[in-house]
Amino acid sequence: MNTPLNKTSEQLAKRVLGRINDEHLRPRPRWEFLLKNYLFWGLGALAVLFGALAVSAILFEIQNVDWRLADATHPSVLSFFLATAPFIWVFVLALFTLVGYLYVRRTQHGYRYSLTITALGAILLSLLFGSSLYAIGFGGSVEESLGDHPPFYRPILIEERSWWLAPQKGLLGGEVASVAPSATSFVLRDFSGHEWNIDTDDLSNRDLGYIARGGTVRVIGPPATATSSVFHACFVFPWTPHGIPQHGPLPSPLALVASTSGKGENDRSQECKGIRPYQQLHRIENSWY
Amino acid sequence: MPLDLNDEEIVRRTLLDKDAFALLIERYEAKLLRYLERLGVGVREDREDILQNAFIKAYKNLNSFDVSLSFSSWMYRITHNEAMSFFRSKHARPQVILSEEGEGLITELEDADSDASELAELRLSREELAKAFATISPQYRDALTLRFFENRSYTEMSDILQVPVGTVSTLIYRAKRALRASLPKQFLP
Repeated sequence: MNTPLNKTSEQLAKRVLGRINDEHLRPRPRWEFLLKNYLFWGLGALAVLFGALAVSAILFEIQNVDWRLADATHPSVLSFFLATAPFIWVFVLALFTLVGYLYVRRTQHGYRYSLTITALGAILLSLLFGSSLYAIGFGGSVEESLGDHPPFYRPILIEERSWWLAPQKGLLGGEVASVAPSATSFVLRDFSGHEWNIDTDDLSNRDLGYIARGGTVRVIGPPATATSSVFHACFVFPWTPHGIPQHGPLPSPLALVASTSGKGENDRSQECKGIRPYQQLHRIENSWY
Repeated sequence: MPLDLNDEEIVRRTLLDKDAFALLIERYEAKLLRYLERLGVGVREDREDILQNAFIKAYKNLNSFDVSLSFSSWMYRITHNEAMSFFRSKHARPQVILSEEGEGLITELEDADSDASELAELRLSREELAKAFATISPQYRDALTLRFFENRSYTEMSDILQVPVGTVSTLIYRAKRALRASLPKQFLP
């Protein structure tokens, strides 16, 4: 040094340099700090990715919840909302947003970003990536594969299927297994594998068209016993899950039969007119796309 | 070594020759000892020990020094963190001594909600301020110390305390409110 240090500074400088020499201290290499920084950014990005998976599952649930038939499946709007709102996925998104913030906070300049800014950024990125994942048909896989593990949660499609395994409430869902040649009845294999012979006397042309197209349908009729194998159908609604890549149903020659042999929409029997949300179902049927 | 070198240049030289570090120690020792005193480290030996540890830590982490910050802010940050560790490890209560300066804080407190003519008669003394200062939370005390005794900008405080600039503003606002609430009744609005 080319200027005299004051006494205390000199002492402190000597003590510090003495310790550096005695303990053979060296500055830690730069790559360690860079690695740590990149690691935390990487973990932050991973948290956003998990958030995106949660978003894809939320979109999948929202898309697959059929509000139109809520009156038939649930006693009230509130119970329907509680059964279908994607609480767990919103919680997962919030959790990973927080985890992402904590990791970003530990990066070199992470302290400069407020919780609000970081959380908004993480949520926006999660929404962006999550929408893309949903668009390519990933939402259902996430929802079913991850959602199937917690004991307190059922994936939305499984949950919805359970509502349509209730013949005692007049609700039945499943695959159209076969249709009688004159379309007077059809066989429905419900979600538990049980086969039902469904009487189509009260079905409209539109209903018969859905049956003729095949695939998964939901049938509403008067209550039947679970042990029975016969069900009287009053309404039929198709069920096409959203957000899952699938092939369209093949056109069937029965579609032609269906278009000519069905009943008028006002000709249903008293038995059908007596089912609980008949008027609503009638309106829904007319506005169904 | 020429004394007009800036801190960042000395850091670069220290990485090649550790003796250059003495210049940084000389440059910051007095300021940091005073800062430690204001943070409430009452015993001189403790202040020196903390500072020695802070300089050793700075040396070991010299490669993490980010030139987008000032060396001063970085060194204050390390010293601040060492002081907090000291308080935690000793379960020590900070001993607040406001022996000089802080005029800016007194002016701020007096200007806030009060009538200037009344305050001409009720001049806040340094002892009263020190007493009130001792009662507020360490977090608030740190914020006020950096702002009004160390004259640090909000950005520098953000770098030292490692919180967003917005949080610094909030901290200072709340700290002034807490301090005002701790003052003797005649100074309350």
